[in-house]
Amino acid sequence: MKNSALLTDRYDPLEKVFFFDDFDHGLNGWTGLIGNYEDSLESVLPEFRDLRPPQLSNLTMWDTGTAGSAFGTYALKLATRPRLGSLAVGIKRQTFRHAARLRLEAYLTFKPEASQLRLSALDVRAFGVAFDLQDGYGQADGLRWMPHLRYLNAQAGERQGRWQFKAQTRPLTDIGGTGETQSHFHLGPEGWQDVPNAQQLTCYNEITTKMNWSYLRVGLDLHTRTITDFQFDDHVFSGEGLGVITLPAMRNLWCMLNTLFFVETDTDQRAFLYVDSVLLSGEGA
Amino acid sequence: MPHLAESHTLVIERNTRWEGEFATEPAETAWAREAIFFVRALQLEGALAAARVRVQLSPDGMHWADEGTLCPLPGAPGGLTFCRLTHFGGWLRLVGSLPAGTQLRVIVYLNLKG
Repeated sequence: MKNSALLTDRYDPLEKVFFFDDFDHGLNGWTGLIGNYEDSLESVLPEFRDLRPPQLSNLTMWDTGTAGSAFGTYALKLATRPRLGSLAVGIKRQTFRHAARLRLEAYLTFKPEASQLRLSALDVRAFGVAFDLQDGYGQADGLRWMPHLRYLNAQAGERQGRWQFKAQTRPLTDIGGTGETQSHFHLGPEGWQDVPNAQQLTCYNEITTKMNWSYLRVGLDLHTRTITDFQFDDHVFSGEGLGVITLPAMRNLWCMLNTLFFVETDTDQRAFLYVDSVLLSGEGA
Repeated sequence: MPHLAESHTLVIERNTRWEGEFATEPAETAWAREAIFFVRALQLEGALAAARVRVQLSPDGMHWADEGTLCPLPGAPGGLTFCRLTHFGGWLRLVGSLPAGTQLRVIVYLNLKG
């Protein structure tokens, strides 16, 4: 492990570390998300066409200069366009070796662009984390399932400050004319439900250029296809009753284990999500 | 074993329609020492005339100044142009304007290395 002290001091991983990315040496496989297409980019579902990709940022602010990341110089940065509802998504695509309990941990912070000299605490609509998994190869109950969690910070200029999950996606749409490609947009604003005891006011320091890094932990169980629990700073939430999106298994996604972070703006200002670092661990065989 | 440079290609615009005044989204480049902007035309309506795009630098991602490089635009669908850059600091973007009635649909890559 490239930095075992950082790992054990800052994280509580399960037995096997699947990845540990601190973004001081590149994006480590985190890339942008695009919808499926055939022949032309015009065939991409509209909502999937302009999801903004991750970059490496050293958190340089116009008023205080470079802050650096939580544990080094660089962080993964997601930046929306300055357009209401714009989304930025970073995804890392892997597979799993066996059904197990998994634990995702990360340090992250969110802010709007500091283009106005005011608090702007309600400019960011939401940030979140999602997974895209498929298991059950060769079994009758093979399933694609997609746990989604988001922190709804603000909506239409009103403070929300609550955690939500999503158990529904839009119908699969055929893309192109071959019958081999389908797509569904799962990050739309509809269908989000509050988790029990959803309320949490996160640390939002007084101006847009002060970032405080928060701890996020999400537990998954690949046996039961559930979110077991999650934690953000000092708040721990039960996974009980948190539904996940499910779809019939697709013929070519076996053992998929994708992890996504996303951020969405609630105004015509850019919203930023910084992640430094992120660790996925799981039970051993 | 030689030290291998970090390298990253950012798709800063994808199937984006340019018309009138335009600017690419800000790209963070603090870690990189050299860059190449590539502009590939997917569709063109109207005439480009002598339209060029200007490279701009920024200290904060919000306030921009011309770097001095002019990048040509591809004059037909499928065309690809580029400009090479060094010593650019923390942010880069392209800005430009197209003649009235002209629309150019582009994919813009920013290849960074450092």
